[in-house]
Amino acid sequence: MKSLLFFCVLLLAVSIAKADIAKPKPPEKQAKHVLHTGLEIVPDSKLYEAKLQISQSDLNSLRAALDGDAGSSPVVGGIAFSAPRTIIAGLLMFMAVSVAGVLFARSSSFGRAQKTIGAALLVAIVLGAAAIITRGNAGPPGSWRWRNLPQALADGKPTRGGVDIEIVPDDQMNGRTMRLIIPLKKQNNPGEE
Amino acid sequence: MQNALELKTWPSVRVARDTKAFVALVVLCIVAAAGFASWLPLQVSIVTLFLFAGPHNWFELRYFLMRLPVRFGRSRNFFLTAFAGLAVLTLAYVSLPFLYSATLWSEEAWSVVIASWNTALLFWLALLVWLRSRQKTKANWKWTIPVALALCSLNWLGPDTFSLAIVYVHPLIALWFLDRHIRRTQPAWSHAYRRCLWLLPFVLIAMIWQLSQATPLADDNGLFWRITQHSGAQVLPQVSSHMLVSVHLFLEMLHYGVWIIALPLIGRIGSARFWEVRTVPIARHPKGFPWIVGGLLVFAVVTVFVLWLGFSVDYSTTRDVYFTLAIAHVLAEAPFLLRML
Repeated sequence: MKSLLFFCVLLLAVSIAKADIAKPKPPEKQAKHVLHTGLEIVPDSKLYEAKLQISQSDLNSLRAALDGDAGSSPVVGGIAFSAPRTIIAGLLMFMAVSVAGVLFARSSSFGRAQKTIGAALLVAIVLGAAAIITRGNAGPPGSWRWRNLPQALADGKPTRGGVDIEIVPDDQMNGRTMRLIIPLKKQNNPGEE
Repeated sequence: MQNALELKTWPSVRVARDTKAFVALVVLCIVAAAGFASWLPLQVSIVTLFLFAGPHNWFELRYFLMRLPVRFGRSRNFFLTAFAGLAVLTLAYVSLPFLYSATLWSEEAWSVVIASWNTALLFWLALLVWLRSRQKTKANWKWTIPVALALCSLNWLGPDTFSLAIVYVHPLIALWFLDRHIRRTQPAWSHAYRRCLWLLPFVLIAMIWQLSQATPLADDNGLFWRITQHSGAQVLPQVSSHMLVSVHLFLEMLHYGVWIIALPLIGRIGSARFWEVRTVPIARHPKGFPWIVGGLLVFAVVTVFVLWLGFSVDYSTTRDVYFTLAIAHVLAEAPFLLRML
């Protein structure tokens, strides 16, 4: 009887103690990148309402991406990251570098020093290319195309560049429905620090 | 004495004058093609394809027949590999649209299919190079093996981009053919021609510079959409479609110009009547095949007229069909170019 009473008191104490613990915060949903495509910002003095136009092919790609087929779209930055294809590409590149290395080492038209420098250069180029392809964006950064946007808007000229379409949870949009974020770097005026 | 001196210097003066005329014509063609392609890309593309796609294939077929030996001899394996690969790759390529409409594969699965076809193409090319290098004891073409493997690797990373690269590189192959042809038939022009080719990168850079920020072309109807898609507007959405179509059209115009104007008119082939079957060596030879050659050329002429009729009735569909079947002539260029190296 005593033990039953002790158990009931303990259960009550635990319930009261637990009630003081704040409700765990649900993990914040991350914005989901679904598509990379092109965007043109066109100032038009004749319009009274901003207009967002989207091509049929982009809409189809977006729909496919939202259906869970994101990485497979051919417009995802030109190079799609698919595991099987990346593995095959890696194997073929490994074979290419190996064969090139063997041919280079067996070649009699190069001296020992030239071969060493050549091999070092080859390794550096391969590593650099692999890093660019797998982790970086080849070519100038996307912000480069948007650098003249303020001036172009002032002049009434269109500006084109790449754009990543992201689906953001409603609670992170603070009541907004759509938002266009342009990667503009602050440019100091001459004489300004 | 003076007359003798004049007679002696006459050929060199004539060669110099001909070379100058040739250079002027090449430069004019390059600049005019770039101008038209940049100015009205869609309209000029439609007209160019309508007029020249069929005839350029006829001239290309005739040129290949001119280069075909009566007996393959030591090149038997090379030609067997070439024709077998040509047939298999063309059939596989032509069957892809049918496969696409009959199956419900994902985009990723299609990327694998396209990458596989591109890999087969590269392996076939590497095999042809290897077979050809066995006949040329002094040439060292072993470096082509790692290059082919590296290209295969890049192809698997971006099959669509690689296929687009083929679309842009193929027209340039005609310039290589012309280079080899000039070296054989008009060696005095070879140096001048190669100098003219240096103009190409500058013209291309100027076109890209001018058109990279151009407003995209209106692809609001099926035909214009097809033209922009063929030039890579979907694969490179961040690039102006005006620039893509213009650059592709410029290269295509050069390609057609080489096959229809330059190659038939320069050298020994130019002196022959190109419409006569007997001017083709394998038709003229006692052990040759005049009926087969004649039949092929007549069939090609009929195809040209069918293409013109098709373009007149339904331009968009004929365009799609043409570019699917035209892969055969793209592939056929490889073995014949290798034979000329």
